Amino acid sequence: MVLKKLMRNPISLLGLIILIGFVLVAIFAPKLAPPRDPEQPYMIPRYGYSSTPKPPVPEHPFGTTEGQYDIFYGIVWGTRTAFWVGLFVVGVSCAIGIIVGSIAGYYGGKFDEILMRIVDVFMSFPFLIAAVVITTILGRGLDKVMLAMVCFYWMGYARLVRGSILAIKEEEYILAAKACGVKDWQIIMKHVLPNSIFPVLVQASMNIGSVVITASGLSFLGVGAPQGYADWGQMISFGRNWLLGTPENAFAYWYTIVYPGLAIVLFVLAWNLVGDAFRDVLDPKMQS
Amino acid sequence: MFNYILRRILSLPVVILGVTLLIFLMMQLLSPYQLLASYIRSPEELKNKDPDVLIHTYGLDRPAGERYVKWIQNVIRGDLGWSNSANMPVKEAILARFPATLELALFAVIPVIFGGILLGSFAAMHHNRWGDHLTRIFAIVGWSLPSFVGGLLVLMIFYGVLGWFPPGRLSTWAYQIVTSDQFVNYTGMYTLDAILNGNWAIFWDALRHLIGPTLTLAYLWWAFIMRITRSSMLDTMNKDYVRTGRSKGLPERVVVKKYIRSNALIPVVTVAGLMVLGLLGGVVIVETVFDFKGLGLLTATAAQQLDYAAVLGTTMFYCFLLVIVNLIVDILYAFVDPRVRLE
Repeated sequence: MVLKKLMRNPISLLGLIILIGFVLVAIFAPKLAPPRDPEQPYMIPRYGYSSTPKPPVPEHPFGTTEGQYDIFYGIVWGTRTAFWVGLFVVGVSCAIGIIVGSIAGYYGGKFDEILMRIVDVFMSFPFLIAAVVITTILGRGLDKVMLAMVCFYWMGYARLVRGSILAIKEEEYILAAKACGVKDWQIIMKHVLPNSIFPVLVQASMNIGSVVITASGLSFLGVGAPQGYADWGQMISFGRNWLLGTPENAFAYWYTIVYPGLAIVLFVLAWNLVGDAFRDVLDPKMQS
Repeated sequence: MFNYILRRILSLPVVILGVTLLIFLMMQLLSPYQLLASYIRSPEELKNKDPDVLIHTYGLDRPAGERYVKWIQNVIRGDLGWSNSANMPVKEAILARFPATLELALFAVIPVIFGGILLGSFAAMHHNRWGDHLTRIFAIVGWSLPSFVGGLLVLMIFYGVLGWFPPGRLSTWAYQIVTSDQFVNYTGMYTLDAILNGNWAIFWDALRHLIGPTLTLAYLWWAFIMRITRSSMLDTMNKDYVRTGRSKGLPERVVVKKYIRSNALIPVVTVAGLMVLGLLGGVVIVETVFDFKGLGLLTATAAQQLDYAAVLGTTMFYCFLLVIVNLIVDILYAFVDPRVRLE
């Protein structure tokens, strides 16, 4: 039913199509860009060591960037990196947030007070900066980037879940279940969560894009994925030094920025469009 | 009202204590040798000395509780250690760089809030018509554009091609004047200092360097403010009191301004607080792109060079700022929305 409504709106349909396109690219990555070393498919192959980027040719359809990394290969495998980072960080943070939020909301009192102060403390860190600190301390690597982001991303979901649980806790069907002697965790799992989960799902789908932006931002700063890893942010940082082109032609090295930039923007845009439509479909207030 | 503000201020020390504990916890992931780096000012100090002896001298081998107390005492005294990447104490580096970031933030906040509110109310007034669709597309593209891609595009077009808005904070000639004796640095914000010194050439040059990063930050945040304003206005537009206003024959202009917009702006205040939060993180990337020597670039350079003292010190500073800003926003919120203070 939700899908049917998504299809009816041309803008969200566009988002859905772009997203499916990216899913296909991620699935067929080994076919589209066969890895040179099957053991390490995420390392972008290099074709020489000269720093000057080379324009597109049939063997390298998007050209090669600084250090002769193949741009097409990086974008194709970077799609997998983006999905992996986005889904993992949002998924795990969501799970932590749901657990913390339901305990705080359902039990209230001291639990609630302590958990919410912890949330306040974590919320006092600007997200990107917290991620920078942790990756600086732990070292480069995609696993560390994801860990750093999860550490500082669960709080929003915890607050959201707590809020909606507080709202439905006093509903009659919950009180009825309690009166029948149903166990607490069963009430939470069977009655409370299913009725408060939708705002969280909508939020999660809208967050995937911004998580991917932050992760590639870390790589852009040089504290994220290791050198040569298929990551869109890192590819843009490679292209950064060639931004101004040559004195004769300001756009001489356009392909080093435009292709990876376009990949990120389209990926994030697709998630945002779908998330936006998802919210409108599920929010009854927006239907009138 | 008074109770609400008092309660809010009383929770402040708890949060700040928590923040210091969390930062200290992160420091525990570093080895004593890595922590030692923030005490060493130059390689000479390590000559003919055993690092283990130095670790003992600085108490880095003591139990965690003892080290925490000592560290907190240092922090309160403003001693955040030695930054290798900036080659000066972290505290001095922060104080030297902060005015630049503050200047950038002040320049970005005003166009963002006003522009966003105007765009949002424009979209709501033209709900489901072309004006609405266009502003929504404009906003959602902005929300999907990472600041480093947006910033690089601005740099490519407005500096590479047109030569209007160069990177950095000042041109070389202007920088020489600013660092000379004739120019008094009152605040460290070059535009303001230039006005106070009556030097319009410098003012113009500083402004030119601010537009690029401001434009990048602004586009990103317009989307955000616009979205909130739009949905909040749409929400308010269907309220009964608005219909009452219309039916008693008030001019449309008055209905929109007094009945709809002033009520719809309440959530925008919260969002403005969130925006400051995002701005603090955002400046790290935008300052890196534009080589704008502020606090964000300090953090980014320190992170790249594994200068732990500076990374942790600036983080502490950001958190402190954020806690203060959040407090101000909450108090402001209580002023705007009477329901909050009656809670």
